[in-house]
Amino acid sequence: MHNAMKLLARGTAVIGGLVLVGLIVLTTLSIIGRSLNKMLHSDRAESLMGGFAQTLLDLGIGEVNGSYELLEAGVAFAIFSFFPVCQLYGGHATVDIFTSRLPARVHRAIVAFWEVVLAAVLILISWRLYEGMQRYIGNGETTLFLQFPVWWAYAASFAASTVTCVVAVYCAVMRVGESLSGRILLPTA
Amino acid sequence: MSNLELGFMSFPILLIMVFLRAPIGLAMLLCGFAGWYFAMGGNPNVLLNKLKSETYTQFSSYSLSIIPMFLLMGQFATLSGMSSSLFKAAESFLGHRRGGVAMAAVGACAGFGAICGSSLATAATMSKVALPELRRYGYSGGFSTATLAAGGTLGILIPPSVILVIYAILTEQNIAKLFLAAFIPGIMAAIGYMLTISFYVRLNPKSAGTRPPQPMSERWAALAETWPVLVIFGLVVGGIYLGWFTPTEGSAIGAAGTGLVALLSGSLNWSVFRDSLLGTAKTTAMIFFIVLGASFYNSFLALSGVPQFMADWVLTQGFSPWLVLSIILIFYLVFGCLMDSLSMILLTVPIFFPVISAMDFGMSPEHVAIWFGILVLIVVEVGLITPPVGMNLFIINAMDRETPMTETYKAVMFFVGSDILRVIILVLFPAITLFLIPG
Amino acid sequence: QEVTLRLHQFLPPQANVPKLVLDVWADSVEEDSGGRIKVERYPSMQLGGKPPELMDQAIDGVADIVWTVVGYTPGRYPSTEVFELPFMMTNARAASRAYWEMFEKHMKDTEFKDVHILGTWVHGPGLIHANKEVRKPSDMEGLKIRGGSRLANALLEKVGATPVGMPVPAVPEGLSKGVIDGTTIPWEVTAALKIPELVGNHTEFTGNALYVLTFVLAMNKDRYDSLPADLQKVIDDNSGLEFSIFAGGTQADSDGPARQAAADRGNNIVTLNAEETAEWKAVAEPIYAEWVAEMNEKGIDGQALIDEARMLIDKYTE
Ligand code: NA
Ligand code: NA
Repeated sequence: MHNAMKLLARGTAVIGGLVLVGLIVLTTLSIIGRSLNKMLHSDRAESLMGGFAQTLLDLGIGEVNGSYELLEAGVAFAIFSFFPVCQLYGGHATVDIFTSRLPARVHRAIVAFWEVVLAAVLILISWRLYEGMQRYIGNGETTLFLQFPVWWAYAASFAASTVTCVVAVYCAVMRVGESLSGRILLPTA
Repeated sequence: MSNLELGFMSFPILLIMVFLRAPIGLAMLLCGFAGWYFAMGGNPNVLLNKLKSETYTQFSSYSLSIIPMFLLMGQFATLSGMSSSLFKAAESFLGHRRGGVAMAAVGACAGFGAICGSSLATAATMSKVALPELRRYGYSGGFSTATLAAGGTLGILIPPSVILVIYAILTEQNIAKLFLAAFIPGIMAAIGYMLTISFYVRLNPKSAGTRPPQPMSERWAALAETWPVLVIFGLVVGGIYLGWFTPTEGSAIGAAGTGLVALLSGSLNWSVFRDSLLGTAKTTAMIFFIVLGASFYNSFLALSGVPQFMADWVLTQGFSPWLVLSIILIFYLVFGCLMDSLSMILLTVPIFFPVISAMDFGMSPEHVAIWFGILVLIVVEVGLITPPVGMNLFIINAMDRETPMTETYKAVMFFVGSDILRVIILVLFPAITLFLIPG
Repeated sequence: QEVTLRLHQFLPPQANVPKLVLDVWADSVEEDSGGRIKVERYPSMQLGGKPPELMDQAIDGVADIVWTVVGYTPGRYPSTEVFELPFMMTNARAASRAYWEMFEKHMKDTEFKDVHILGTWVHGPGLIHANKEVRKPSDMEGLKIRGGSRLANALLEKVGATPVGMPVPAVPEGLSKGVIDGTTIPWEVTAALKIPELVGNHTEFTGNALYVLTFVLAMNKDRYDSLPADLQKVIDDNSGLEFSIFAGGTQADSDGPARQAAADRGNNIVTLNAEETAEWKAVAEPIYAEWVAEMNEKGIDGQALIDEARMLIDKYTE
């Protein structure tokens, strides 16, 4: 079970990470295209390269226009896909200074309690994200520039978010188990 | 209960939850939920509707997408061997002095900070390289770990810096100008830490060993090895400042550049690449959960009118601006002992910034915003190394199990002292921070 | 007071529309209600979200009242785009008046059925601000221009420019760093963005304006319905046709001083005569057919909207 969860969480994170890398490449190409475009437009390019500069420009060398809309949609998906692995490895920021002095049993109970609350909140977030997606399916809103339906981006994020819910519930169950049994069931590495 | 009272009541509740080990993002989200719920007269619909778009909106932010990109850049930089080439170069110049290896570690941290946006990553990466060397040359455990913990904060003090990005977004300031403004204080921090080291080794001569100097030719050769760092830093920070690209684009270029260097260095196989994605993923999710919680909580605070009330109150009391500023900075230092820097910034800047903006420091509003941002950046970063809760201390002690935490705590206080001295200088002379900022 | 209304919008409080239109509206409502209504003003998206979500915030009750650019949610309120077609509007008062009439007739119970609309208006004539002189459509070729809306972008493409998408606050930096060569905005906004300091050329048109954006002031429906009849009347009396004309007119009146400021700097303000403007109109003409086709797909009679809008705008243009 733990291995399956690990595979699921890490797999989702890697997919999100690859999307992030894709966006990095897209953005970099866009900047290179923009710089080349500016250079080709310059008088010097015209005198050096003659008609060839214009030929290159006609090929469409320039900024990847509207790439910022892809970036926004893509990075949202990436971040949603990063949540499961953060969840599984207990990566959320906490202040342990006071609770760590409590008896181990109490400490484990506190950890389990917040893990359950966190799972509940993540499920709530996911459910509302789904409702948000429904709204955009219904109202036909598109992005301004590339004019793709907004709900596509919501759908991708929602898919990643469901994985978060699965992993969060698993973690919550395990932490409660740890609290009851006093054994470590959920390694954080 | 009025919304204002609700707003004020939420502070102690939030703190109690955080100190009872609630994930910080979760605690802020819950306070935000409760706030909107009660402010709407116990009607959950507004809250539920708000949640339909709140998460996606927060995560699909063009400006915040800098964060995962800078984090990935830091991961790639770690892989590409830049950290060890930086350390070797610094060590070849400084290593023969008394405390020189520790100074070299600080210098290398400063160099690494120039291509890494996060303190934790800088501390962890440089520790891997420098900690064994420090121990080899006979540096005492606590002094070594403290040096690296302090050096790690240069990751954020020297641009690029994730915390400055967040501050810029919260206060609607220009990221490029903030990066530029952080530059001199960042260099001052590095120099301050080196002076601290030389002071410390004079005080505790047994805590450090020495080694014979290296020939000049070897020093220059080692320095030449660090060229990718210079190129990438110049391209990213220079390019952002000169307006070749937006900060977000700059972070993409930086990630692509370090990725390329890592690839060419031959250390980037699939499993290493996957691990850097996973590392980025974990930290990104941690940060964005806090960002989400803070944005929800802050929208409730705005609704309750607390920031406005505080600003009005402070103004009508007729306090001197300098007193107010000092109180705020001391507040950060104290809370920094317990809280992490990102949550502190997200929580408090929306409240303190209107207060500071409304006061007259004899500077333009933009200059005040930039100067205050750099001061806040420094004081929250001190929080990373102040006992008992200092993330940098934890990270490095986890890498050096032999050194007891108390040893680190003792030695790090010297560096905290140097930080506080620097804050005082920067408060008294705003021109140092604003020196590079036009008009 | 007995009723508190939260007014949420995206500009800082000292900007023209919040200061000269929304505050005036809110103060007047507060006064007419004898202090029973209080309008709490939340500028700069303080209640969270990004500007495109303002409309949903009004629908959902996150805010009670929002002021928003309709074009922030492309595809959702297609009929309003009739006023955003190139060379449709003449002056802001006439177009805002036509907008309100057509809103009541065609949009109130259809596209805007989920909110209670308090006012509909357009800003003053949009024009071109660029780093080179623009007279003919062909002068635009190869320029990277930030367009204000979907249809403004379509127009830029028609004249061979590259429309660049960026939020308004990013325009000054984009201009100063050469990321864009120019932008299309009304005069009124140029002062806050320091446009005249960043580019030296401005191209105005005679008669019909190059483009405009449509705005709405929208209120949560349940919130409106829940008000006692006398307070509803206070809201009604301050809203609707008169208010829309006032809002559009006031916003357009801020164009003059901003234009003067650019002229005082010695900037090159080109005002194209009717003949020159006609050349641009000819290039823009295909957008009309394309738009009508798009509307037909959505089951809207685009041609009828165009004809009616033209007729009303002509009628109200003195
Ligand atoms: Na840095
Ligand atoms: Na601390």
